[in-house]
Amino acid sequence: MALIEIDDLSVTFHAKGREVRAVQNVSLSVGAQESYGLVGESGSGKSTILRAICGLAPVSGGTIRIGGQPIDSPRGAAFSRQVQMVFQDPYASLHPRHTIDRTLSEPLAIHGIADADARVKRALSDVGLPPGFRFRFPHQLSGGQRQRVAIARALMLEPSILLLDEPTSALDASVQAETLNLLNRLRAERGLTFLMVSHDLAVIDHMCDRVLVMQHGRAVEELERAALATAEMKTDYARSLFAASADRMLEG
Amino acid sequence: MTLLSVKNLRVSFDTEAGLVEAVRGVSFSLGRERLGIVGESGSGKTMTGRSVLRLIRPPGRIEAEEMRFDGIDLMRASEKEMRALRGTRIAMVMQDPKYSLNPVMRVGAQLMEGLRQRDGMGKAEARAKAIAALAAVQIRDPERVMEAYPHELSGGMGQRVMIAMMLIPDPDLLIADEPTSALDVTVQAEVLSILDGLVRDRGMGLIFISHDLRLVARFCDRVLVMFKGRVVEELAAKDLMQAKHPYTQGLLNCLPRIGGPREPLPGLDRTAEWAN
Repeated sequence: MALIEIDDLSVTFHAKGREVRAVQNVSLSVGAQESYGLVGESGSGKSTILRAICGLAPVSGGTIRIGGQPIDSPRGAAFSRQVQMVFQDPYASLHPRHTIDRTLSEPLAIHGIADADARVKRALSDVGLPPGFRFRFPHQLSGGQRQRVAIARALMLEPSILLLDEPTSALDASVQAETLNLLNRLRAERGLTFLMVSHDLAVIDHMCDRVLVMQHGRAVEELERAALATAEMKTDYARSLFAASADRMLEG
Repeated sequence: MTLLSVKNLRVSFDTEAGLVEAVRGVSFSLGRERLGIVGESGSGKTMTGRSVLRLIRPPGRIEAEEMRFDGIDLMRASEKEMRALRGTRIAMVMQDPKYSLNPVMRVGAQLMEGLRQRDGMGKAEARAKAIAALAAVQIRDPERVMEAYPHELSGGMGQRVMIAMMLIPDPDLLIADEPTSALDVTVQAEVLSILDGLVRDRGMGLIFISHDLRLVARFCDRVLVMFKGRVVEELAAKDLMQAKHPYTQGLLNCLPRIGGPREPLPGLDRTAEWAN
């Protein structure tokens, strides 16, 4: 049975009397311990799907089920223990005036989990940060180190699902490699399920087993990883995205 | 013909923690060609670009044996002479249109400001020229964009507006500092081909600064690879795949490829003896 099931999901924003249909009738399902990618250009609605799962976007139609159960609105404590999100920009997603220690221990305090001290230490070492970073502030870390903290924070409650919203697009190429390796290692160690958004097809290909190509809020085409590598897409849009991908450029 | 020559450029900052050298002895020369500067954050690539325009404020210091642009000694030029160069002969496109355009001024007014102030042009003439510049960067509806505020434009449109703005005075040298990093891949390809066409048609020199080695290789004639303020390797873009230096190879290999192996991506070794 699929762990995440999204059926006919629509998200509509209302602004100044105008309707913006950010996501229109998208369905997808992600199996347990699978890694599923959403790819498309900005405005294609890929991040909105992640935000809708977390209750951060107004769902206007369709259903979202996790582990077979429709999710509660508003999302409760049980949801936070199961699903966590890592955001694109580690410069914006960490509280600038909280130490790393406070950022990491807050979810534990909210959920009444004891043993915070040991858990924070272990979380830092799990994402490859030295223990001395614990009492630093975000501005004292580099972009890659901050994203590691954001990943550690998402894993504090030991969720089974990680929603990754462009986790490396604000990072340098070399730091991106380190972060992707970290995510893959954590997925293998903990049996995590990933739902990952990126505009970079090469990153999605490296990380995901299946990928959904999106455009203008609609699902265009779902591809298996093998079909992506051999360029067996059926739609023109997916093919143009493939052709524009940076790693094709050297051969082109 | 050499348009710009830089010899032994050093940029340093006096900080509370002591002297920080951001650029440590960079030399290069540039004709009417496309030069790429690649490196990670903190490698000094942006500082190198800004030094050419002398846009580094105290406590930052620029030193160089020689920095010459079209016969003008940039190290000795007065502030007034530098101001005459900036924008008109050497232009710079910044990374993010969100932060580089004036948020409370309509795009049209920003485009016309320079034409009116610097060239003393009349309103109608400046407007016509601004619209032509927007059309040159393939904005389909220039009249509407002229009346828009920057927040009403997408990232790709904003970036094109900035390129249009820089190209109005027809500069001889364009310094583009990560002009496409904030953009989607599909939009990125579009903006690059616009830049490419403009550079070729107008015979400009271009310094293209980026952290994306593959992008630079496709787009430039020559590439400088920088690490910790030094140039570690200089090579023709077509020879990039035959790069000798371990750092250049590391930058190339750390990017995932479609259909590539699933094993962990190779990291960069920053501890070897060349790294000091």
